[in-house]
Amino acid sequence: MTPNSEPVFHTIDRGLLCCASFLVPERQRAEWRLEWESELWHARRSHGASSAASWRTEREIASFCFGAFQDAACLRRLWWQDRPQSSPLHGSPRQCILWLGGLLLVSYLVSLLLPGVRAEHNLSSAQVRPGTILIQNEGAENSSVPTMVIDQIRIWERSRQRYADGFAFYRVAKESVELGPHVGGTWQIAQASSNLFALAGWSLHFMIPKEEARRDVPRLVLSQRVWRQQFGATPEIVGTVLLVGARPAQVVGIAPGDAWRLPGNTDAWLLKSDSEINSTGPGYVVAHLTRSGRSEMCGGLVHISSYDSLRSEHDFVGRSLEERTPGPANIYWFGILLAFLALPAIASVSLADYSFSSHKPSWIRRAVRFGFLGAKIILIMLIAYFSSVDLAYWHFSVFSPSGVYIQLIASFAIFLFGMRWALLDQRQRCPVCLRRVTHPAQVGSVSRMFLAWSGTELICTGGHTLLHVPGLPTSWFSTQRWMFLDPSWNFLFAG
Amino acid sequence: MPSVAKLSHTAAMILQAIDAGLIYGFSIMEMTGLPSGTVYPAMRRLERDKLICSRWERQSIADAEQRPLRKYYKLTAAGAEALQASRNRYPLLERMIPDIEEKSL
Repeated sequence: MTPNSEPVFHTIDRGLLCCASFLVPERQRAEWRLEWESELWHARRSHGASSAASWRTEREIASFCFGAFQDAACLRRLWWQDRPQSSPLHGSPRQCILWLGGLLLVSYLVSLLLPGVRAEHNLSSAQVRPGTILIQNEGAENSSVPTMVIDQIRIWERSRQRYADGFAFYRVAKESVELGPHVGGTWQIAQASSNLFALAGWSLHFMIPKEEARRDVPRLVLSQRVWRQQFGATPEIVGTVLLVGARPAQVVGIAPGDAWRLPGNTDAWLLKSDSEINSTGPGYVVAHLTRSGRSEMCGGLVHISSYDSLRSEHDFVGRSLEERTPGPANIYWFGILLAFLALPAIASVSLADYSFSSHKPSWIRRAVRFGFLGAKIILIMLIAYFSSVDLAYWHFSVFSPSGVYIQLIASFAIFLFGMRWALLDQRQRCPVCLRRVTHPAQVGSVSRMFLAWSGTELICTGGHTLLHVPGLPTSWFSTQRWMFLDPSWNFLFAG
Repeated sequence: MPSVAKLSHTAAMILQAIDAGLIYGFSIMEMTGLPSGTVYPAMRRLERDKLICSRWERQSIADAEQRPLRKYYKLTAAGAEALQASRNRYPLLERMIPDIEEKSL
């Protein structure tokens, strides 16, 4: 050991003391550190005076410093034993917030575990490109019916129009797919233009690198549903070659979750150039509007008049895919709005406080009371969001129309009844300490209510207030009233 | 009158050391031969039980002797009483840690 190594050991010893000091309660930490630094100085001096610096000396000093951890742990234990006992939790605002916080935590953790929710969060970047529309014949009854032919795209592409800068076509048909030796199935395969996903602004998941893509076989894009159900969501499937209708096709990626919004209930998209797609049979047309095209949109719709190859006029309608994409947040907010509208039907929304005297709590206490109500509402809103998303994705691994309804109903119901509970709870909380009033006592008799007051009395266990709730609302006593207790009541609550 | 608490041998040794005039942590350690992980926690408990009390020395004294400030410990009345009871219980205590001549702080 060299003389130069002493400062290094000194630094190490001080580092040990510093680490141990974090165990000490914060209020005692500075003094504790000062005492141990001083003791370390004495220990080092004592060992330095008795022998030359050696490994043995340094080991003894280090062992002295390790004792600091036991001392710090002892101080922490003493602090824990001597800490002032907190007021009883039952009925306190803290208990209420803890319960709501716990529920929120559970619903949030469940949402993290559900693959559908995770996928939805991961795919938030897979939003449809603004200006992407689905074009159909104007007479089509609903958007899920294929009404377009590929020739119409060719006409639009050839014509000089300034409303759209890209078109894609796809047609869905059932085809057999061979997944392996003696394993197969029948899928809804869409013969699609190769630019379909790029047009809609969607990037594929686990997209195969260009150098690994085969040029001699068509490219196949799997839907999220098929990828999860048939292949257990394994990324290794990308790059393999499947037999689709006896023709080989290479899986080049997984479609984003938003792709379900394209009609046709497609299991996989077989990407081809437009010339390779059979021109017979109806399908779907997806287009991307230019800025002037978007200016023509009204309410998510754009009307298009066009001529076909025989110079006869046809009317089409373009529906924005953005408008057709109500994400979980939009559905949630819609459910919250409905619940707000329905709330007065099931609960009184008035929070006016009446009391027997002119005494009122200070403005700080009133602000804290409203802050507490605000905190409850915010927590209920968050619980409603995560719980509704959990329920919507419990059975569906991707966002689906059924999930939309489940989420709407769940968010509506949870928020509505949550708000009802929050308002009722708020009315039964002491305006002074926010504890729930307890010990209900029936006073009087309803049959004699015209002679004497009848109702229920509840008392704040902190001794601040008495709550009178009428048994039957009358013109002279229609709502609950608070009685603020003066100090003469203190003897009841002593100890 | 409250009964005198029975002290462990370690606590009694520390009280004896303080009474003998060894009044800061490291000196008690050296005299008793106990490790730091035993001495300091025991002193915390004794202080909590009000058998000893502590105070920091004046800065000028430490400056004059060119060393860091020391935290001194001394017995309280309850501590002296407890020590006396411990001496009866552990007769060899005084022989193990005899009084040193100078007891000044």
